[in-house]
Amino acid sequence: MNRPQGRFPAGLLAAGLLLGAWASASAAEVGVFEDRVVFGQSAAFSGPAQELGKNMRRGIRAAFREANDRGGVHGRRLELVSLDDAYEPEAAIANTRRLIEEEQVFALIGAVGTPTSRSATPIAADADVPYIAPFTGAAFLRDPQWTNIINLRASYYQETEEMVARLTGDLDIRRIAVLYQDDSFGRAGYRGVRRALDRRNMDAAALAVYPRNTTAVKTALLELRRRTPEAVIVVGSYQPVAAMIAWSRHIGFDPVFITISFVGSNALAQKLGSEGAGVFVTQVVPFPLGTEPRIVDRYRNALAVHAPDAEPGFVSLEGYLAGRLAVAALERAGTDVDRTGFLDSLRRTEPIDIDGFELRYDDDNQGSDLVFVTAIGRDGRYRPISHLGEAAHP
Amino acid sequence: MNERLQRILRAGSRISGRLYLGIGGAVALTMAASLVAWYSFDRVGDAQSVVNERSVPEMAAAFRVARQSSALVAAAPRLTASATQEDFVRVRDEIAEDRAAFQERLETFTRRGESDGRLRRIRSRGGTLIANIKAIEASVAERFALTEQSDALRAELEELQSRLERTLMRAIDDQFFYAITGYRTLGEPAVPRATHFSEEEFHHYRHLVELQATATLGMRLMASAFALSDARLLEPLRERFEASAAGAERNLAGLGGAAVVPELESGLAQLFDLGIGTKAGFDLRARELSLAERQQKLLDRNRDLAAGLVSEVEGMVRTARASALDATQTADGAIATGQNLLLGLNVVSIGGAIVIAWVFVGALLRRLGQLSERMRGMAAGDLEAEVEMDGHDEVAEMAAALEVFRRRSLEAQRLNLVEKLAEELRGKNDELEKVLGDLRKAQDQIVMREKLAALGQLTAGVAHEIKNPLNFVKNFSEGCKEILEELQEEIPPAGEELQEEQRQLIVDIGKELDENLTSIHQHGERANRIVHDMLSMGRGSGERQATDVNALLDEHARLAYHSARATDSNFQLNIKEDFDDRMGELSVVPQDMGRVFLNMVSNACYATDQKRTAQDDGAGYEPTLSLATRRTPDTVEIRIRDNGGGIPPDVVDKIFNPFFTTKPTDQGTGLGLALSNDIVREHGGAIRVETEPGQFTEMIIELPVRPAATPAQENLDGSAPDDAPADEAAEGA
Repeated sequence: MNRPQGRFPAGLLAAGLLLGAWASASAAEVGVFEDRVVFGQSAAFSGPAQELGKNMRRGIRAAFREANDRGGVHGRRLELVSLDDAYEPEAAIANTRRLIEEEQVFALIGAVGTPTSRSATPIAADADVPYIAPFTGAAFLRDPQWTNIINLRASYYQETEEMVARLTGDLDIRRIAVLYQDDSFGRAGYRGVRRALDRRNMDAAALAVYPRNTTAVKTALLELRRRTPEAVIVVGSYQPVAAMIAWSRHIGFDPVFITISFVGSNALAQKLGSEGAGVFVTQVVPFPLGTEPRIVDRYRNALAVHAPDAEPGFVSLEGYLAGRLAVAALERAGTDVDRTGFLDSLRRTEPIDIDGFELRYDDDNQGSDLVFVTAIGRDGRYRPISHLGEAAHP
Repeated sequence: MNERLQRILRAGSRISGRLYLGIGGAVALTMAASLVAWYSFDRVGDAQSVVNERSVPEMAAAFRVARQSSALVAAAPRLTASATQEDFVRVRDEIAEDRAAFQERLETFTRRGESDGRLRRIRSRGGTLIANIKAIEASVAERFALTEQSDALRAELEELQSRLERTLMRAIDDQFFYAITGYRTLGEPAVPRATHFSEEEFHHYRHLVELQATATLGMRLMASAFALSDARLLEPLRERFEASAAGAERNLAGLGGAAVVPELESGLAQLFDLGIGTKAGFDLRARELSLAERQQKLLDRNRDLAAGLVSEVEGMVRTARASALDATQTADGAIATGQNLLLGLNVVSIGGAIVIAWVFVGALLRRLGQLSERMRGMAAGDLEAEVEMDGHDEVAEMAAALEVFRRRSLEAQRLNLVEKLAEELRGKNDELEKVLGDLRKAQDQIVMREKLAALGQLTAGVAHEIKNPLNFVKNFSEGCKEILEELQEEIPPAGEELQEEQRQLIVDIGKELDENLTSIHQHGERANRIVHDMLSMGRGSGERQATDVNALLDEHARLAYHSARATDSNFQLNIKEDFDDRMGELSVVPQDMGRVFLNMVSNACYATDQKRTAQDDGAGYEPTLSLATRRTPDTVEIRIRDNGGGIPPDVVDKIFNPFFTTKPTDQGTGLGLALSNDIVREHGGAIRVETEPGQFTEMIIELPVRPAATPAQENLDGSAPDDAPADEAAEGA
């Protein structure tokens, strides 16, 4: 008779404590502290794609430091923990686990690569950790089933569509070949090209692949040459692509080369040197040395202050935009930020205007649909072009 | 002695005695039940102590042994399942503890002096099991050492695989490109076609491709060997691995002095060294597999031993449980016996209670019921039947007492009846006397009325006779007066002849004569009036007519008033009228009824005037006459009220008598009210008087709306109708 009465308050007390614990847990989201918010990045800082990871990190850091110099967002400094996955999916899995479980980051930002993202996103989704602005245009990341993924850039489909449109429109080219890296990134690009060609009732003039993380591209080059295409769309990373273009020029096989943003434009131009003249690269961010929109100016200033040794480039601009997107989301989410509030703040109908670069997430999880075309000049530098004919064959 | 026995027997027949007996019986039954319960508890307690002291500890010990042995049984699989060295060490330490605990339990069990065959078997099986576990421990430790080696080997293989693959891929890519184009290095020109597009270069290409296949196969074979679980299948893999090693050697030789050869050579050498060289991966794997097999056998044996141990321990537990069950059954038996006994006692108690209720309480209630019945009967008045009740108990005594009471009541009742009859008789007597008095009074009234009637008739007769002489007196006195006047007229002419003295004397005499004659005439008039009144009394005049009684009353009241004013100019009277509008017309003889009203108002005038003149100053007195009429469905009521001197009580009864008057002789005849009374009676009504001496007098005339018409009128003519009320006839005559 007395026992239940004796136990009941104890039960209440326990429930109260649990509630209290839950309340305090929900009040302070993982990775959000009184004075700072911690973001995590798993990207390639070694291996053939290292320039991509390094530049992304450089851009994000510039944006974070810029915000921190202003006193942070809602009084919190932004911090970035970066781990190297060398563009290997297994390492990306391990890094993502470590960032979520050990480093206890609030969100993941600026991952590099399609196969790596593909391995990391399920882990992030399971833990409900936001996955912001990965450096890839793969279609699977644009699947609306992901509630934790926020893309910054246009998709590979949009890039390849632009390529095919420009080649057929500007240069009236009909024989288009595809060379792609034999992995999920390459296949994603290839699928985009196929869609664009199918839409125009065209067939690929030639198809060639090379193994990931090697520069064994010459067999593929011979396969392409055999079919004599007028243009080759290249979906790969800068080392093998540079090797392939160099060899192609060397053996006198000289079609129009157009490659995808992921290639790592600056690294590619650097590798190619004078051989790069006339190579087109599609971009998903504005020209970093231009004047429009305002963001470009801001970016160069930030880079000059926080990474004075770095040259402005497309990848670090994308990194800077990613960092600015995180800052904007934190500002919009308010003081008591949690992961859901952070993501929801982006999905509001009013667009996010990052100094003239507008991002919208109210209808899908991709902020920008813009694709820009650039060409490498004889000086080995990029310049923006509006018509492929502007940079006719060297 | 005999007397004492009888007293006891008598006590037994009394209620109190029986009650004591019943309570005693209940106490005895309760004590019996308590004894039985005590006996049962005692036996349950015995059984329980057997359970507590022997069976439970035995069972507990058996269970502990069972638990410890199950810990040992589970030990070996836990050992082999441990994934890391640390796990293994921890599990091993735990097992050592379990082992020690098991041996200690077993020792305790044996010390209890119950060492039987089963215990011996348990101990020996436990020992074997412990030895076996030790063997498993050793094999697991060995396994860890081997696993460490094979892990290192596999890691090396993995690293080698990616390096070798990349090298081979690049070499094949370069060789193919060179064979087709003649370019070897960027920036260098192509060699002549005959050089690069040659049989030799294609063989180089083939060797590289074959090397790639060989290397891939070798690595696959190694991977398969490490995935294998059956040691017997290892040998074919090793055989093929050796073949691919030989093939690699051949292809490497075929490449001659190509630039890539040293790199490939070292890679492939490393691969085959991993498999069948110093690293001896296949041997390692074979040792691993045979160890696993041995371990499996040990585990199987462990399982058998464990099963044996478990079954022995289970047997022990079963025995302990059976012993506990025995003790529990004994306790259950004791409880059942106790329950049966208590149940029996309960049945006996309930039966006894029913018998007592039936035989004793039932009889008592019946007897009390009879007594109560008799008492109720007595209360209702039945005192005749005797109260009888046999037996010697309290009820019988109560019945005897009731019988005495009944007899007393009967006597008292009889006495009471006589007194009551006498009282009634006295009442009747008084009533009779009162009736007699009333009768006499009525008789006197009748006689008086008869007298008055006779007197009335006589008076009428006398009046008629006196009227003629009175006429003479009147006429002659008038005649004399006329003559005297003539005489006096004649005197002046003759006066000259007469002396003054004579003339004066004649005049004086004439005056005196005239006064006398006037006096004669006046008194004659008065006598005539009396006679007239007397004649009009006893004779109705006129017919009934529908008359407005309000108007009639008003008219006659004014008549009386003016008459009084005419006599005395000082006369004052305030007349208030309160007539009922619903009065309508009433069938009356208007002359007669008018006379009634005139009489009454005249009396009121007189009374008020008397009072006014009596009070010299007249201050504060206002002579007032109130006239009121009221109509009810059946009657009409007329009230004539004055605020004069009222009527003294001794006079009130006489006012309607003829010739009774309080006025001076020359002002009233004493016939006015008598006459009025007669008239109202003739109309079937009545007059009431309400008066307060010195305050007021009110005459109330009540008339029926429907006249008892004709008979009353006939009655006036002296012929009494059959249906006329006796008293009315008597009065109206």
